[in-house]
Amino acid sequence: MIGAVTDLNNTREVQFFRTRSENSRSLELVTSVVYDEHPEKHIWETGCLLRCELPIRLPVYFPAKNWPDAEKMYLRATEAVVAKFKDPQVVYVVETLSKASTGVPQPVILRGIELDFDTALSNIKLLGKDAHDSDPKFLSCAHFCLKSKSDRPILSAENADIIQLSVLLNSSEKSEKSSSPVAEYIPALEEAGLLAVNFKLGVLCYAAKEIPVMYAVSKLIIPGLVDQLNSMKNVILPNLLTKHPQLCPYHFNPPGVLHPITVIYELNYGETEMKQVDIRKSLHLRLGLPSDRPLLRIANALDFSTTNDSARNDTIRKGSTLLKDVHVGIPISGVPGGIVSLIQGSYEYYHYLQDSFNDSGWGCAYRSLQTIISWFRLQHYSSIDVPSHREIQQALVEIGDKDASFIGSREWIGAIELSFVLDKLLGVSCRVINVTSGAELPEKCRELALHFENQGTPIMIGGGVLAYTLLGVDYNEASGDCAFLILDPHYTGNEDLKKIVNGGWCGWKKSVDSKGRSFFLHDKFYNLLLPQRPNMV
Amino acid sequence: MANRPTCKTKDGRKERKRKIYHAAFRFGLRSKRRKIQPVKMVKAVVGEESQLKLIEDRLSQSGLPVQLGLVVGKLSSPLDRGFVFDLVPTPPNDAGEAACSLLESVKDDKEKGTKSRSQAAEVSSLFIDDDWVAEHARQVARMLVGGVGVVGIYIWVSSDAFKNSTIMLYQLLQTIKGVAEATPVLETDREERLLIHICYSPMRWTCRNCTWTSNITSSSLRPCDFKMGRVLTSLQTFKCTYNFNLSLPICHESASNVQTLRDVLRQGISHHAKELKDAKAIIDGNLVVGDEPCTLDGVHEVELLLPFMKDSNAEACSRKDALGVLVFNGSVCSFAYLNSKEPISQAVSDIKMDIIMSLQSRLDIICDEAYGDVGPKDDASPEASDGISTNKPVSQLVLHFLRKECSLSFPRRVFVPWLAGTYICDYLQPSETLEVLKDHCVELMSMEGPTDASTILKPEIEAPSLVTKSFWDVAAPFYSASSFPFGDDMEEGRDLDNSQSSVKLSNKLVFIG
Repeated sequence: MIGAVTDLNNTREVQFFRTRSENSRSLELVTSVVYDEHPEKHIWETGCLLRCELPIRLPVYFPAKNWPDAEKMYLRATEAVVAKFKDPQVVYVVETLSKASTGVPQPVILRGIELDFDTALSNIKLLGKDAHDSDPKFLSCAHFCLKSKSDRPILSAENADIIQLSVLLNSSEKSEKSSSPVAEYIPALEEAGLLAVNFKLGVLCYAAKEIPVMYAVSKLIIPGLVDQLNSMKNVILPNLLTKHPQLCPYHFNPPGVLHPITVIYELNYGETEMKQVDIRKSLHLRLGLPSDRPLLRIANALDFSTTNDSARNDTIRKGSTLLKDVHVGIPISGVPGGIVSLIQGSYEYYHYLQDSFNDSGWGCAYRSLQTIISWFRLQHYSSIDVPSHREIQQALVEIGDKDASFIGSREWIGAIELSFVLDKLLGVSCRVINVTSGAELPEKCRELALHFENQGTPIMIGGGVLAYTLLGVDYNEASGDCAFLILDPHYTGNEDLKKIVNGGWCGWKKSVDSKGRSFFLHDKFYNLLLPQRPNMV
Repeated sequence: MANRPTCKTKDGRKERKRKIYHAAFRFGLRSKRRKIQPVKMVKAVVGEESQLKLIEDRLSQSGLPVQLGLVVGKLSSPLDRGFVFDLVPTPPNDAGEAACSLLESVKDDKEKGTKSRSQAAEVSSLFIDDDWVAEHARQVARMLVGGVGVVGIYIWVSSDAFKNSTIMLYQLLQTIKGVAEATPVLETDREERLLIHICYSPMRWTCRNCTWTSNITSSSLRPCDFKMGRVLTSLQTFKCTYNFNLSLPICHESASNVQTLRDVLRQGISHHAKELKDAKAIIDGNLVVGDEPCTLDGVHEVELLLPFMKDSNAEACSRKDALGVLVFNGSVCSFAYLNSKEPISQAVSDIKMDIIMSLQSRLDIICDEAYGDVGPKDDASPEASDGISTNKPVSQLVLHFLRKECSLSFPRRVFVPWLAGTYICDYLQPSETLEVLKDHCVELMSMEGPTDASTILKPEIEAPSLVTKSFWDVAAPFYSASSFPFGDDMEEGRDLDNSQSSVKLSNKLVFIG
């Protein structure tokens, strides 16, 4: 165990203490502490994730006349599972979880009989990088980690080396006496009931790559499974004879937390039910996560599926050909000494003619709205599909803003309509900034920069002329020099990032360019729609 | 065959096709392979030379005009190949009649007078006791291990008689269908069997492949290449001891759904077959992942890995009132033979199939004998209050009415040396001796019985007789009777540790060996 103490009054220096073993009562001061600027680099270069999913189904017989005994029977049955993990007949299959099809190490089996549960974790001999041994007992976790790392520079839990473990039961264990089959019927002499209790275990462990994999199993995975089983057992216990809660573990890697965390959700409740919302809120609080970012929804969970286009990715957008985050990597604005404020999170680029739908000349605001809604979807505030033009019109008719003839028409919509639709479909409220002339827009830069810092949502620019989506501002407070990061929905080409960036369909626009032309017209008014980030998790 | 009203072109094509087959048949030619093969099927068949030559000699010396029997071997669809290990003649039926005999009849009286040899052949037909052949197939299949099966029928008859008789062909197809039904291949809706014709004067082997889904017609037949070679000596041997322990709950059901012990077991076995199908396997200590062929010689040890504590039987009757529990456990010793070119995964599925078939066969044997022992049963009358009627065999008991323990021991599986170091198997009831086994070998497999009893493998010991246990001992095994209601936890824990360490020791010894 490691503990830390800091003295708030004096030096504010943090001191670390550690204990040598679990039972030790003495604390030692840690004298050498290394502060790493990129701790995630160290963590994912020297360690890997171990993942184990294990569905368990237990039959629990109980005397019908004595219901309290059902609980005791149930507890004994779970104890039997815990004991079974250490059974010599159990086989742990260790394999690399990888999208790659070649160069993946062969799976290895570890037999329960070979596992060592007694050696203390601190006494385990670590294996060097070059340790080679054909005996699976002495293989390190590094053996299952992929050697080539050059193509995966981003170090995060999602890109970490993942070792998959499966728990199986060897049914061919040799024994002195293999007796031919026999069927015995034993009737219950008293009335008895039978329950089937399901546990869906799923643990994720972090292990240093130098640890022998057999110890990773006996010291990390098995205790992890036992802990999870026990906590699930306790939740099911009060409802043993009624409807069992459907518990399911999910793993998350919220920003600011270096290691993944596991949350067990009860799936009998819908995700937006207050009970679940409260649970997420308290989790956010305990983990020090912001209370207006949905970070622990099921859609946020780490996805370990090895197929590249998993079903889940497909559902985000049918035939997902849309480009995401097109502003990443574009040329800089050229504002000297400017401070860049950008939207936070991903969006999809919607523009003219997509989905073979000809909206050239009238659909730009619709497209801007689609981009904004895609942002809310991708941040998991909502799971609704991005609405089509028709669905947007439908929504406006439903709230009484437009007549029924509006559906199917080619009428323009503006910032105010967008705010109605965002309210109706997502429950998102918006702020609106009006300027009577494009010339006034630079004055709003400070306000816009603040929006991007605090809300981080894409802004729709509408008004007397064309609609745009605003993704950020670059602003020098001292000189007043500024530029706007514009995503232009009027693009009519195909999904070609190069063409979009080179054509200026996504790029920094100064209010007055080098040739003296104004981007925002001085004789037109503009409405800026600033969607407010919902205060929800 | 009935003339079906079809359009001209179709008829024409059909006619041409049939001619090609005849030519191919007569000259042993291979028909041109069609470019598109919708279903993979066996295109070439290799027969075990050493064995088939012996059979050929025996047949030509016998002077028999006709003989019908079973083809024992293996069909491999990934290899498009069939392998014939042995031909087993169907013995005479219970009435002492040959399973197949040649009938020479003529169409009408006019021709009778001027009966020439060729005309007689044209109208010759066969008498085939289809039921008997099918029953033979069923019993032979029981004696075969994984990767070996009844893959078709053969007929020894003169080529004149065969080629001119569409009736004969039709009869043979019906026999094949009967054999296929008696020896079903699990998990397939398409049947595939061989029809081998051995003709005398001149001596020639021809083979046809017969595939069909529901109806069998002459268009189900395709000629295939047949040659002799060495098949048995290149077989790889796989061995597995499979231990299982199923707890089948018996629950209150509606009265219409009462089941006998046999039904419950049959259901339990087929349910378990599904679970076993997904089991991973270890061969010689390595997890089977790829599909590469197995290159090493010797007997390969297969270990099967099943889901950890996932009792799928509990699901079927959750929360209902449990009347009792049927514990079905024990070990199955299993063998499978693999052609060296086949992928190793085939050996795994052959072993799995062998395990399930072995359980089913044993249950069938028990039930067959029970039927034989007891006369026509009157199952309409519910049993006496304790559920045991005086003369009902155990397999016929209805568990829902039963208020007493009962047990059913399955016969032991023994392995008898067969051809070229391979084994076939048989099942012995506790009361039966090795003499029974000898009879089966001679009668069903047309081989000499084992003379030396020490060559017979008896890896399974006899099932233990019923150990009287209480319901709670069985339903909650972690829960010893002495500690009911709940004794000292600590003591029990210590016992558990002790037993584990002793198991560890014995396993280590086994592993070294």
